[in-house]
Order: sequence, then C-alpha cells, then structure tokens
Amino acid sequence: MKIKKIVLPESEMPRQWYNIQADLPTPLEPTLNPATNEPVVPEDLTSVFPMPLIEQDTSQERWIDIPEKVLEKYLIWRPSPLYRAYNLEKYLDTPAKIYFKNEGVSPAGSHKPNTAVPQAYYNKISGTKKIYTETGAGQWGSALAFCCAMFDMECKVFMVRISFDHKPYRRIMMETWGATCVASPSSETNAGRAILANDPNCPGSLGMAISEAIECAVNEEDAKYSLGSVLNHVMLHQTINGLECQKQMKITGDYPDVMIGCSGGGSNFAGMILPFVRDKINGKDIDIIGVEPASCPTMTRGPFAYDFGDTAGMTPLLPMHTLGRNFVPEAIHAGGLRYHGMSPIISQLLVNNIIRAESIQQLETFEAGITFAKTEGFISAPEANHAIALTIREALKAKEEGKEKVILVNWSGHGLVDMAAYDSYLRGNLSNHSLEDDKIQKALEDLAPLPKPKQSIK
Amino acid sequence: MNMKPEKIIPPEDEFVIRCPRLGHQISFSYCLHESGKLPCFKILDCWHNYFQVEKYLKETLTTEEWENTFFAPGQPKILTLIDLIQQAKNSKKGKYK
Repeated sequence: MKIKKIVLPESEMPRQWYNIQADLPTPLEPTLNPATNEPVVPEDLTSVFPMPLIEQDTSQERWIDIPEKVLEKYLIWRPSPLYRAYNLEKYLDTPAKIYFKNEGVSPAGSHKPNTAVPQAYYNKISGTKKIYTETGAGQWGSALAFCCAMFDMECKVFMVRISFDHKPYRRIMMETWGATCVASPSSETNAGRAILANDPNCPGSLGMAISEAIECAVNEEDAKYSLGSVLNHVMLHQTINGLECQKQMKITGDYPDVMIGCSGGGSNFAGMILPFVRDKINGKDIDIIGVEPASCPTMTRGPFAYDFGDTAGMTPLLPMHTLGRNFVPEAIHAGGLRYHGMSPIISQLLVNNIIRAESIQQLETFEAGITFAKTEGFISAPEANHAIALTIREALKAKEEGKEKVILVNWSGHGLVDMAAYDSYLRGNLSNHSLEDDKIQKALEDLAPLPKPKQSIK
Repeated sequence: MNMKPEKIIPPEDEFVIRCPRLGHQISFSYCLHESGKLPCFKILDCWHNYFQVEKYLKETLTTEEWENTFFAPGQPKILTLIDLIQQAKNSKKGKYK
C-alpha cells in the first residue's frame, strides 16, 4: 500500500520559528512614521501589542525559540499532515507528484491559529487580560477566540456588520469559545457611534471594525489588539508550517520543484514558503508562486509596472502614480500580492524575483475546488481553491512537458462554513468574461512612453 | 444569472460574488459604499468580469471621489495602525473626528 499521508510524530514538531529577515537579500527598511519622519519605534505600538511581539517584528535572529506553552497548544493539531494527492494526479493523468499540506485540521479549520496561539501567549505573559480584534467572515476572529480560550483570556471581536448578519456560523464558533462578538459599527466606541450617527444602517467595513478594535485596545487597561496577517511576527509564527513540510518532504525523498499558495495578506503563503525561500537563496531551484484571489488580466498578461510608496523604495509595493490617469487606476489591479495590505516580506521577495505571482479567475478556482473535493475528498476554503487551481495548471503543464515535477501546495483551510460560495457556483451564478486582448493592448500602449519604475515586476 | 461584461448597469443585489477581503459573498451595492461614501479600492478589480464597472463608476463618481477611491496613496499596515492608535488616543480626550 502506498503511503498517502506523512504524519510527523509530535517529537518531530519544530521547536523554533524561522525568521526570513536574517536571510533577505535586500533587508526590509524600517517603516518611517510620517509624523516624525523617523523610523517607527516600539513605543509607537506598545499601546496595542505586547513587547515580545513588537521585538519579533524587527528581530534579525534567524531562529526564534517557540515557547513551551505554545508548543503545548500547537500539539492540539500539529504537526499537520502532508498528503500525496494520488487521486488528483490520476484524474489529471499527470506525471507530476502533488503534495498538499493540510492546514485545515486546526480547531478553527485554517492556518490562522499558528499565529493566534503565540499572540495569545505573549499577551498573557505580558499581563494582557483582554484582546480585541476585527474580522470579516470570521476566519481570523474564530482562530483568535479559540486561542484566547486556550490561555483563559477574554476576547472581543468586532465583526463587520454585513458579515455578522450573513455569516452566523463563525460568529457562533467565536461565542462557543467564549469570545464576545459584536457587529461593527457598534454603539460601543466613539468611532462606531460616529459612523452610526451618519448612517444607522451602515453595513460596516474592515476599516471601521479595526478602528473600533484599536480604540478599545488603546483606551482600556490591560487590553491589547491582535492582527492575523501582514505583520512580520505573523509571518514568523506561520513558518512552523513550512518547517514541518521540510521534514515531511525529506521523508518522501522528494523536494519541491514548484510551491504554490494563495496569497491574501500573505500569511498562509509565507508560512509554507519561507523556510524553502531560504533554500532557494542558498541555491535550490524552486518556482514559488503566490496565487492572487482576483485580479484584472492585464496584471498577468502584460508588463504591468509598480513602484513603491516611499522614496527609499522599501515599503510594501504600491501603485506607481506616474502611470497616467486615462488608464484604469493601478490600485484596482493590485491583487493580494500587490496592494498595501500585503506583507512587506512577501512584497520584498516579489521585488527580488524570488517568488512570483499568478492570478486565476473565480470560476476556475471553484472548478478546481470541485475537482479536488471529488478526487481528494476535502472541501477547500475558497481561498485554498486558488492554490488548487494553479496546482492543476502546473500539473497539466508538467504533463505537456512530460516532466515528473514535484508540486507542493498549501491547503490552508477547509470550506465547510463557506458552502454558500459553492452554492453560487453549483447554481451557475458565477461567470467569467475576460477582457478582450485589444483592450489590454491599448492599455499597455498607454504605458509605453511613461518612465520606468525604479523596480518593476516582470 | 450570467452577467455579460458588455453591460453597464450593475447587477442587482441578488447577484453576489466573493469578497477577497471579507471572505464571503457580497453584492455590488456593498462594494459601492464600502469605504464610507466611497467604493472599495478593489471594486474594479473584483467586478470587471461582470459588467463595465469602470465606465459605470466614471459616470457616477465625481472626479474627486474617483481620485480619492483609486489614487489615495496607500500606506504600510503598520502606519495605518499608528494612525488608528493616535485617533483612539484623541478619542479618549474627546477629540474624535
């Protein structure tokens, strides 16, 4: 019988996180505080984050010990299994070997607790009694609620009103773990009250929810705020995934030629790839691809140019403002890897051409998710379907080329509370209509005479 | 419902697509006012497959609204947090805007 899944014994779970900042070819420049024009200092953030997390955000130490109490909580679901997708390979009739890392086995059903556990822990040892956060559909909110429960801490989640009303299951999950979940905008904060005064029926937004969470964290004693993506310490915590993958791949005797993950804020993608990025920096040949949730086809079909938001050129990628305003604004092409909500680390790796980006249309992602469910059994979170869709593309490419490529994909979570999205697909309510080539070419012609950005993405 | 990109009129609220930021299905009307009175900065990216959203917005937004939506400079998350911290401190002092 062939081995289907590679399960590390608990004794083999990594004891340290890997910090890519020690190995980045181009170090991250400190972010400048526009009020002072000086680099952001820890004191700027101590009202919302405990000091250990602030220190991790800028640490240059390559390896950071995982506290014993965090390891204990990780053991609830870690090490997570690595699967060989034999059935998908057979279905695709591909010579490629497809491995997927199942991060959906956590209690919250996604990779998010990889950072929620240490964030709750570091808050606990720093004297925090209550953690505030914001959430949309609730993936992050439920992860933090679970982890606060593990450390006997209070958790309050401002959930965007439209999500609160339409996505009850994750709200109920949060409440089951003992968290308080309120619809944002709420009457509990000055920010929320100001919004409601203008529009009592406001459906909310992530921007409003984060304002409320920060206001509470700043103004309440022994309270802090927690963020589930983007920041460097989040990427650090997520590396336990990739470090496990390295051990598991070693057991298989294979090494990935291609690595694929979906990139929203970057944390699930970073978690799997960063330890392998170190290998790549040291000479390994790996094609590392972040898949963007949605984007305009010009981004992947043309030499779309981007610049940085600061003169030092080191902030996360931002649109270049010299592109000309007759063109569809660049910000709107800024899918996950390219907008300011993306992790600075991932942005920097993109600039350094260590990783690259692909975008896939919504319909193809659901087609892939259905194929995956029918072959491998698991129903993916819609975000994970982006990674599966590109995996299928790469596997079929390997078939065309007759190459036995090894593909490693991050399966970041299950979709069991996302069935409405599948319902839309299955009922035929989703469609794709790509822009015509001539329209894209016209847009690219407009770009030609413009100055080239300092750094551009090919 | 099978929307054509040739359409200029936005789809009704019954038609929903997945929002990559919130993580669930939403209608166009939400995206149109996601940022207070302004659209979400990703609105064109998300909706361009379903109707001529760019044309629609250019016809319905003022130049200022258009520019504030799509040309407002983004900033790193850490600076957003610092801004919000300052707002929250001001809020405590009764200076909330």
